[in-house]
Amino acid sequence: MLSFLKRHREPLLVCVILAHALGMFLGSSRRVREPNLVDRIALAVTAPVQRAAVATIDGTVNAWQQYVSLRNVRRENSVLQEENSKLRADVVGLAEARAENDRLRRLVHYDEASPGPKVIARVLGINPDPNRLTLRIDRGEGDGVRRGQAVVTAEGVVGQVLRATASASDVLVVFDPNCRLGGRIQRTRARVGIAGAGDDQALKLEYLLRTEDLEEGDLVLTSGTDGVYPPGLVIGRVTGVQRQTSGMFLNAGILPAVNFGKVEEVVVLAPQPAASFPTRTEGSGRR
Amino acid sequence: MKLLLTLVLTLLFLALESVAVKYVGLGVARIDVTVAIVAFLALRAGLLEGAAASYAVGYLLDLMTGRPTGLYTLLAVVTFLLGRLAGSVVDVRTGKSFALFAMAADAAHGLLAWGIGSVSSKQVSLSSLSGLPLEVLLTGIAALLLYPLLKRFGLGAEKRDPGLLAP
Repeated sequence: MLSFLKRHREPLLVCVILAHALGMFLGSSRRVREPNLVDRIALAVTAPVQRAAVATIDGTVNAWQQYVSLRNVRRENSVLQEENSKLRADVVGLAEARAENDRLRRLVHYDEASPGPKVIARVLGINPDPNRLTLRIDRGEGDGVRRGQAVVTAEGVVGQVLRATASASDVLVVFDPNCRLGGRIQRTRARVGIAGAGDDQALKLEYLLRTEDLEEGDLVLTSGTDGVYPPGLVIGRVTGVQRQTSGMFLNAGILPAVNFGKVEEVVVLAPQPAASFPTRTEGSGRR
Repeated sequence: MKLLLTLVLTLLFLALESVAVKYVGLGVARIDVTVAIVAFLALRAGLLEGAAASYAVGYLLDLMTGRPTGLYTLLAVVTFLLGRLAGSVVDVRTGKSFALFAMAADAAHGLLAWGIGSVSSKQVSLSSLSGLPLEVLLTGIAALLLYPLLKRFGLGAEKRDPGLLAP
């Protein structure tokens, strides 16, 4: 018997294992057994592995999703940036168009208010010669522009045409030292001479008696006596009034009404008709 | 030691499988990695060692089902014995042949589970076998992937009698 057991030890033990498994199945098939120590150890071992696996998978999935969403965000960001640039350009263009529209509207209003032939021109550039403060406009002799014509904007006097070619003209701006024009103090109606100071954005007031009433901020208009500019155009406002203790005339400056650095469109006026006075002959003839 | 290694690997695979099922959502078809291990044991382990290891593997599978009934413990031992019987007539040396062997073992395991289940419970019907082909296929793939690992760990490797022609 013992030798039989020894000889068939392995098959017998396998049968025991099989029988135990069968008994366990038959015994516990009707009810759920409580976990024993082995069960608890096995479950305790598997739980961290599962947790680590879940964490790894979740981490990988999250990292991938973040990567994908980051790529999407980056792509979206570049699209939005491009769109933003286009919109900014559009906004700048619209603002430019609106500003141009405003300027042209003011010029049109000026044009409607001032009778006589006029040419509206666009400023092409400022001549680089500092001794000649001139602007170049895009209208010339072909458009009816002639040398000596007054150039104005809705804000006021700009200058006069210095040279006209077929399709463009140079305009001597009023603050050039070679420029002279006749003016009038609006408040006192006193006639004055105005000359360019040669300085950027400055004019000199000339030939106003020291005793004349003049205040800072007085508006200076064209008098129309120079034969170039029609009367009533704004030149600027009086600034820096200095009354000397000696001499006939006072010193003062004029701050031009027109900002020459920002002029873009101008109106070229027709030559002013020479002032005609009744001659003595005509007068005596009438008599 | 090999039994402990078998248990550790089984636990690891079962844990990973449960996580994989969670993500992949294989509600019907499972990957029977334990059957692959039992099949490997049937080919490489000794009778007693393999039976004990299969018992342990089945026990763990039973445990991981959440409702241990002892069915999978029994089936693991039975599958081991059937596999050992089949292994005596077939030559399994490559990963592909092992995958086919594991698929056959899984099919037998599944059919046995269904048969025993249908006897013990009226709720088990023929339709519950619908997932078996996919399960067998996935187990075969898993076996193909696990074969090098199981070989490397020398799981269930026993010194077989090389015979008279061996050098």
